[in-house]
Amino acid sequence: MSEVVKLQLIGLTIVGSGVLILLLIRAQFVRVIGFVAIVLGLFTLVALSVPQMASLPPVEEKFDIATVKTPTDMATIGQKIFFSKGQCALCHTIGPSESARCPDLKGIGAKLSREFLFESLTQPQAYIYLDYRHEGQPKEYPARMPYINKNPIGLSKNEILSVIAFLQQMSGEPISVTVAELEVPGQASAAPVKVAQSGPVDVAQAH
Amino acid sequence: MQQQGGWIQRLLQAVKGQGGMLSGLLWAVGLLSLPALAFGADVAPAAATEYRDIPYIGSRNLVWVVAQLHLLLAGFVLGVPIFAWLCEVVAWKTGEKRYDKLAKEFTKLLTSAYATTALFGGILLFLLISFYPKLMNYLTDIFFPSFIVYCLLFLVETATLYLYWYGWDAMQDGGKKKFHIFLGFMLNFFAFFIMIVPNSWATFQASPVVLAEGSDLARAWAATWNPTWWPVNIHRLIANVVLGGYICGAYAGIRYLSARNAEERDHYDWMGYVGNFIGVFGLLPLPFAGYWLMREIYQYNQQMGITLMGGFLSWLFILQAMLIGVLFLGSNYYFWLGITYRIPGSELKYRKPMLSMLIILLLCLGVWMTPHSLVASLEEARKMGGTHHPLLGVFGVMSAKMTVSNLMILVTFMSFIMYWRAGKEETAGWAKAAKAVMSSLLVLAGIAVVVLGVWGYFVPAIVRINYFSTSQVLIVLFVMLTITPLTALLLKSAKTTTEMVWGKMPPRAGYALVLNAIMVILLMTLMGYARSSSRVHWHVYGVLRDSSQYAFSPALGYAAAIMALNTFVFCMIVAFIFWVATMSDKAKAPHS
Repeated sequence: MSEVVKLQLIGLTIVGSGVLILLLIRAQFVRVIGFVAIVLGLFTLVALSVPQMASLPPVEEKFDIATVKTPTDMATIGQKIFFSKGQCALCHTIGPSESARCPDLKGIGAKLSREFLFESLTQPQAYIYLDYRHEGQPKEYPARMPYINKNPIGLSKNEILSVIAFLQQMSGEPISVTVAELEVPGQASAAPVKVAQSGPVDVAQAH
Repeated sequence: MQQQGGWIQRLLQAVKGQGGMLSGLLWAVGLLSLPALAFGADVAPAAATEYRDIPYIGSRNLVWVVAQLHLLLAGFVLGVPIFAWLCEVVAWKTGEKRYDKLAKEFTKLLTSAYATTALFGGILLFLLISFYPKLMNYLTDIFFPSFIVYCLLFLVETATLYLYWYGWDAMQDGGKKKFHIFLGFMLNFFAFFIMIVPNSWATFQASPVVLAEGSDLARAWAATWNPTWWPVNIHRLIANVVLGGYICGAYAGIRYLSARNAEERDHYDWMGYVGNFIGVFGLLPLPFAGYWLMREIYQYNQQMGITLMGGFLSWLFILQAMLIGVLFLGSNYYFWLGITYRIPGSELKYRKPMLSMLIILLLCLGVWMTPHSLVASLEEARKMGGTHHPLLGVFGVMSAKMTVSNLMILVTFMSFIMYWRAGKEETAGWAKAAKAVMSSLLVLAGIAVVVLGVWGYFVPAIVRINYFSTSQVLIVLFVMLTITPLTALLLKSAKTTTEMVWGKMPPRAGYALVLNAIMVILLMTLMGYARSSSRVHWHVYGVLRDSSQYAFSPALGYAAAIMALNTFVFCMIVAFIFWVATMSDKAKAPHS
């Protein structure tokens, strides 16, 4: 007997009990309980009569670096990270959208160098634009971007490089990140990604 | 290994000179334990427990039942003070003591109801910590400051409740009464914050924002202001008023059915009228708040919106339509019974309009409940030319559903106004013009809602959602906000032609009130399941994945069985609270 049939039988029994209570019992409170039982039983029976669709979780993606053979593989992994663990899509869009809360990343891989992208992900406050669209002193745009390599997102260097590969591929650029740069788990980084040399805060002007 | 060797050396130095035997023994023990040290060096620290379970029931089911009961009780204890305070203000303004008595009768429930709600809250917290430690650690890390605020709010709320309840009789006259009403306001003020703080935790799970580094307070604040926080706050606030009103109505209905004398019948008939009135008052704007919430969900994440409205949860909205439809029918039916039995002579006058309204409501309900795609066999689908019925499929889309839901609100509003005006004769000189304006407004609004609904089929979805549906909502709101004060003004100088007769309602009126309360409770359980399931396999949407064995969302039939169970248990708990709270009154009352 399937679960649905079992539940239907329970529902029918509850409705039947409610009807019997209304027919046989005079005590008002018990009659109200019988009425409630009928209503709830009917509700369950109606819900059991519509298509029964459960939502099953998809198979969890494993980002196994050992399977990465080409920069395109990295971009594929980077795309998955972009829309899941990296949480990039919570704020950024690829292409204009009304719901975007942060800059549109369409073509970003062509506009910015990979070093600048790495720095933006790991040191979001390092390069801050100034807003001149008002009288007086220019205001700093506080970067809302979180540190991607720290908690709660906490992407590893390999994952960040994969995201950069995806951003470059998505912008129609050749992928400049190579598989050789990936760190094998358990080994320390031999050659860290070159980060744009900068002071504590670099300032650019936005007009 | 180096560290381990170090402590062995220090130990040997410490026992030097204590005799060769002890030294030899230590060497032997040390040598024997070397393999264990080697194993110990390789063993990683034990992984933190992410989930725990219990046999037979399952941790998810248990948390589901307890969380739902806690939320329903919380809705009750937040809705009742609003209801009681409104009644107290009416009594203070109009001088009608029975409203004050009603307010007191319901406030009396609060002390035991608060304790029960807190009890379920405590059980829920222990269950969550035990069954979902990973999730609770994550949420605690983010919301720790608001946990403290929540505790402080409970302290001030409890103190205010004690003052409000125990000071009721002592603060009845002059300035003291004003202070008592102020206390009632503060009770609701704190209660509102008690509601919105945990709302931020739940809404963050559904619509998280990225948290940058910062102080604990800054992170908690950023997480609190997530996109669905305020839509849920407003939706829950209104829903709590509705719940409070309809539960008052159901209580009155049961007491009316078991009343032993005319005095009791009069009192509980009137109480049922007030409960239904407040319930409908909240019910009318509730769909608009729901619409706002859905818009925000779509804006936040279109995929989540699609999961709700077009994905595996789409049939849930057919059930929702059924429940709301029955609720609208039940509320209107109670109004119509009131017109028929409480206002002698009105039955003939209003029979035709009532029949027309019933037909409109049933037609609207039929359209609202029409699914977009039908469950059909292969042969049936071939005959229809797909899963969409050539005629019925037209009613299954949002344009039709938005139109009929707005029409149902308009019809219920008409019933409400009709009941308000029944048995009264307007004496103001401008009454005729005002009535003409109100009638024109209603007719024009109805036409505009239908025209926008039909037009909605021929424009892109984004235009329909952003402009047409919003316009429909604004038109209906405009009608309600215009006609309500106009009617109030008109009836201020009106002459009562027929006095209300209380206690003459048939028993089915009592059952209608119980039915309405059950519909509201079922709706709350259904939409709780919808909100939770819209996160699919995420504890925190897109951020913290549910990797337990319960990461799936169960099918509607199974979920409905749990919802029915929760509704029944909640009703029994509320009945118990009413019984306990009124026990002393019954003991004091003279035996008849």
